[in-house]
Amino acid sequence: MHLDPFELHRPATVDEAVEMARRHAGAFDFLAGGTDLLPNYKMHLNLRPHVIALEGIRELEEHGVERIGAMTRLAEVEGDAALAAAYPGLLEAVREVATPLVRASATVGGNLLLETRCFFFNQSEFWRHSLGYCLKADGDRCHVVPQKEKCYATFSGDLAPVFLTLDARVELAGPEGRREIPLAEMYDAHGDGIHRTKLRPGEILCGVRLPPGARSWRTTYRKLRLRPSFDFPELGVAAAARFDGDRVAEARVAIGGLETYPTSYPSETAALAGERLTEAAARAVGERIRAKVRPVRNTAIAPDYRKKMAAVFVRRALLALSGGAAA
Amino acid sequence: MAWTPLRFRVNGHPREIPCPPERILLDLLREDLELTGTKRGCDLGTCGCCAVLIDGRPTLSCLTLARLAEGREVTTIEGVSPPQGLSPLQRAFVEHGATQCGFCTPGFVIAATALLRDHPRPSRAEVERAVAGNLCRCTGYTKIVEAILATAEGR
Repeated sequence: MHLDPFELHRPATVDEAVEMARRHAGAFDFLAGGTDLLPNYKMHLNLRPHVIALEGIRELEEHGVERIGAMTRLAEVEGDAALAAAYPGLLEAVREVATPLVRASATVGGNLLLETRCFFFNQSEFWRHSLGYCLKADGDRCHVVPQKEKCYATFSGDLAPVFLTLDARVELAGPEGRREIPLAEMYDAHGDGIHRTKLRPGEILCGVRLPPGARSWRTTYRKLRLRPSFDFPELGVAAAARFDGDRVAEARVAIGGLETYPTSYPSETAALAGERLTEAAARAVGERIRAKVRPVRNTAIAPDYRKKMAAVFVRRALLALSGGAAA
Repeated sequence: MAWTPLRFRVNGHPREIPCPPERILLDLLREDLELTGTKRGCDLGTCGCCAVLIDGRPTLSCLTLARLAEGREVTTIEGVSPPQGLSPLQRAFVEHGATQCGFCTPGFVIAATALLRDHPRPSRAEVERAVAGNLCRCTGYTKIVEAILATAEGR
């Protein structure tokens, strides 16, 4: 499949990339590993006349236990023994992404900023044309929730839930300078499947910072999907906890694959603090989260089932942290 | 816009070829360089038929802009074979009947070549993980995994 023509830019530094983004405001895409953007370009989804390739910018490629550059390939995370030892849940999530061939190119930053997905969006031009297109690309209506004027496309990255449970921060660079914000604030809880982040125009995600305390948390990730490889999450549950003896000091759960942005559930997990992580306690957290999530009918698996599985996966993930049997 | 020709190495030989920015590496290899051993399957990164090595790293050529191969070494299935005959891994594929229709074979051989280079004695589970991004629609996986294991064991 040939792509429509665009101009390709190869900045050598972050500053150059920011300048190119400023010059082509509103008319460009950043290209990281290409495993998300190029399939979408092949299907004529929201093409831009300028593509700014971030490959080769050293600042974005460096990675260690405290900071992971946004252009770090997922295969490099897998191959970094120190990273894997520090954050076992991150390694679990990375290994669940797509396939080894995709992970050889796909990047950490690309996974955090993955385009949202929907059954009515990720389709060929021919298929979408026959249905009159949709809000997210070329059309003016949503086929998932037709009476609404917002987009329900689902956030389908696997890494964000794990990073959220580790309280990660993100480094951003843009025309107005550099800033660092909590990852949770990069996603727009009041946005939709189209306006899904609070990145400013032209801003680049440079890297992920993990706080020193993150290494004392146990982490795990559980993913629901149709096939055991390639597929995007229909539900992705990250759980993390710190223990004080046999009691939980603090526990966190974050979920992707259900709504337009990855979400943390602090009030649903708060009751675990100071308690033993029993089957009943884990089950209660799962039920509270299940009552709160709002998946819609826009992926391969029905929303009711994904909702039910949210309770099951949260319970299993929490029990895995306690070392208990995954029931 | 005038573009300088793309300069890179393919299977050990320097190449210089006109290449617009939007050209996909798979299309360049097959249509411009006539290296048709690399197959176009899904064209969206799912099937692994188009895998090549870029500086030794297995890569989906259908999801790679050719211009990003500037200055790099690309190895296709044609470059994996010695000038005469087959590589030991390719011979094992033949001997184990690990090719049925043969369409997915180049991608499997590329993925397995990289695996055996980095992990000369992989376990069965490691082999299965390494080729998890390659689809065989004839479903000949057992023989493929056995061919890779047999190569590792030198039989």
